[in-house]
Amino acid sequence: MTLARPVLPPLPPRGRRWGLLAGVAVVVGVIGYLAFSSVGNALVYYLTPTELLARGPAEVGKTERLGGLVKVGSISGEAPDLSFILTDGITEISVHAAAAPTRSFREGIGAVVEGELRADGVFEATQVIVKHDENYVAPSAGGLPTQAFDPGS
Amino acid sequence: MIPTLGHLVVIIGLAATLYAAGVFILGGRSGDAAALASARRAMYAAFGLVAFACVAMVLSLLTHDFSVLYVARNNATTTPPFYSVISLWAALEGSILFWTLLASGWASLVLYRYRARLPALMPWVGATLALGTAFFFAVMAWAGDPFVRVTPIGLEGNGPNALLQNHPFMGLHPPLLYLGYTGMAIPFAFGMAALITRRTDEEWLAVVRRWTLVPWIFLTAGIVAGAWWSYAVLGWGGYWAWDPVENAALLPWLTATAFIHSSMVAERRGTLRTWTHALVIATFVLTLVGTFLTRSGIVNSVHAFTTSGIGAWFASAILVTLSVAVGLLIWRLPDLRDRRPAGGVVSRESAFLFNNVLFLGITFAVLFGTLYPVLVEATTGAKASVGAPWFNRVNAPIFVALLFLAGVGPALPWGGASWATVRERFAVPILSGVGVVVAAWAMGVRDPAPLGMLGLATFVLVVMGDEVVRGARSRARSRGEPTPLAVLRLATRNRRRYGGYLAHVGICVMAVAIAVSATLSSDRTATLGLGESLSIGSYTLTYDKFVTEPLASDPRVIETRAELTVSGPQAGPIATSLRDYPNSSTAIATPVVRTALDEDLYVTLLGYNPTTRAATFRVFVNPLVMWIWTGGAIVALGALFAIWPDRRRVAVEAALAAGT
Repeated sequence: MTLARPVLPPLPPRGRRWGLLAGVAVVVGVIGYLAFSSVGNALVYYLTPTELLARGPAEVGKTERLGGLVKVGSISGEAPDLSFILTDGITEISVHAAAAPTRSFREGIGAVVEGELRADGVFEATQVIVKHDENYVAPSAGGLPTQAFDPGS
Repeated sequence: MIPTLGHLVVIIGLAATLYAAGVFILGGRSGDAAALASARRAMYAAFGLVAFACVAMVLSLLTHDFSVLYVARNNATTTPPFYSVISLWAALEGSILFWTLLASGWASLVLYRYRARLPALMPWVGATLALGTAFFFAVMAWAGDPFVRVTPIGLEGNGPNALLQNHPFMGLHPPLLYLGYTGMAIPFAFGMAALITRRTDEEWLAVVRRWTLVPWIFLTAGIVAGAWWSYAVLGWGGYWAWDPVENAALLPWLTATAFIHSSMVAERRGTLRTWTHALVIATFVLTLVGTFLTRSGIVNSVHAFTTSGIGAWFASAILVTLSVAVGLLIWRLPDLRDRRPAGGVVSRESAFLFNNVLFLGITFAVLFGTLYPVLVEATTGAKASVGAPWFNRVNAPIFVALLFLAGVGPALPWGGASWATVRERFAVPILSGVGVVVAAWAMGVRDPAPLGMLGLATFVLVVMGDEVVRGARSRARSRGEPTPLAVLRLATRNRRRYGGYLAHVGICVMAVAIAVSATLSSDRTATLGLGESLSIGSYTLTYDKFVTEPLASDPRVIETRAELTVSGPQAGPIATSLRDYPNSSTAIATPVVRTALDEDLYVTLLGYNPTTRAATFRVFVNPLVMWIWTGGAIVALGALFAIWPDRRRVAVEAALAAGT
């Protein structure tokens, strides 16, 4: 709502535009550098428990990353002797970790661990990386199978 | 009977909105007032119809009518009434129904308010809003019908998602967020109307600024309430994890905030007009993108996308909206030429320009980090995720630069500043900032993040305080008013500017609280037997009692509760629990938070051994957390102050309307 046109100050000289453009270019460059220089390290690839076990005994002793939800009630002990269960809603794998997880590690959260599957079926993790929380995904989403529900039963 | 009516109402609503869109377009071309009135009435009717459908759904939930699939999936006979009502937005189909209610409500409100004003623009505003609402009705009619029936009818339903029935915030956070999200259609509709009718003048800009700020307030409150919900319910001691759901809410907020700033330059100087139009379009498209991301399941898995019909609908809507809007914008580019060249490097307009570059930088980073795993999975088939550390590393420096600009911008003159002005304006604020950093260092703060943020926030606050005092003194001198009264009068005469200052104060409060709570919080995890205690900071917690019993409000839920006594600053008994919901394979933690001005004591029960009654607790001491929510409230209040109608302006508008 303009009641009166503001009196405009005298025009700046044209040369100043280049100064502005240079400033914007620097800022954009810095943001681009921040974003792309570290995204390779930020990206975490992982297998779900079902995928890992489907690969069979050949997986034993290979370094892999395993991702799933930390089953509530499954955390016991503390690093260097921490145990918990990772589940994708179908398959569960027990995990034993020697390394301390990051601060936000808790039950019910999505976590990715790096390590290897032992012959006894326990996953020995050298590193616990906490992923984002998959808890409040809409029930209709298909990342983790929600419980099968039959209203007729 | 009721659900059948609900279903029927959705179909009629679709017809009404399509009719409204068609008649608005015809009326816009012919200028037929009767036709436009009829189209408006059709939109009011659509709002009435979807309100009826929402009432039908709430009644079905309250009466536990398990013949409706949505009710059977999200309700149980023992669900308390409050959670039955808010289950309207607890899952996909209900959310879309609620969404349609809000979208048509906003549309009706705008059409009613401007029924006698802006006659050239309003038909096209109406057509855009009607088409947008029609889209949601169509989604309900074909892809996500909330009133689908099931046979045979079960005696008991599945109950709401356990996490969503564990805290009353669930009744607050989604409605606020959805009001903000759906409201962003209004500036978009005005933008389209301006491009179609070639009326991209100051009048248009004033209307759009106001109607961006209204949903922006809701969006801001919704995001802060969501962070609070995450803190109070999820039990991890934090409030923001750069989760796709959170990012989806943040993206349109970032572009809308950029628009609020750049529109001031456009209004004042006639520059950046194409840019402001582009931001209005981007904000609306990002609300669609956010809905698509969170509702299609694509973030969890690309493969989930094909199984969900909703995703395809939203993907098409995004493509169509983007093509039409960008096409229109390019077509009208000649109308949007800048009337004046940009100002100097050190000037208020360049501060606004950099502000926008930075906001867009954060928008890009957040969008990229959210979508990158999706791209990786789509191209290589591998599952991947981008962690929160990356988002923090990229966005923290940009936020710091933005906060710096919030201090610099308001004190710089339009057009360009001389070094003398810069020295005069910023010497005291910079010294104050340095002084606060030194004081904090002397008090033992060593972490760079809180130190830097304290110094920066002080700088910003002192610049603004100086501006306010400067203005008030000159007014007090010229009018002979006492200074406090002069401040008050100035604020109510320049609502936009002073509301903006207040919002910046809120941002400073939030920034300090976030920096401090993120770096200076401490936590301990310990397993205690009955009677044992643990110490953290100045608190000692003693574990007294272990109880397992059904929840009073919903006997199907079994609560295992550990009762503790706190001695120290916030002495007294507290209880934290794990709840077993029948429809959830995992127990839900119910953290307990004791809040004080300086820090929160946050206790959550991780697990227990029912035979020995030993329990594992995680205890956090989180400094300044309540100031994050308080700062958010100050931001929203500042924006509210800025758009509050003042008597003088209303009188001028009425005089103008009478004169036309």
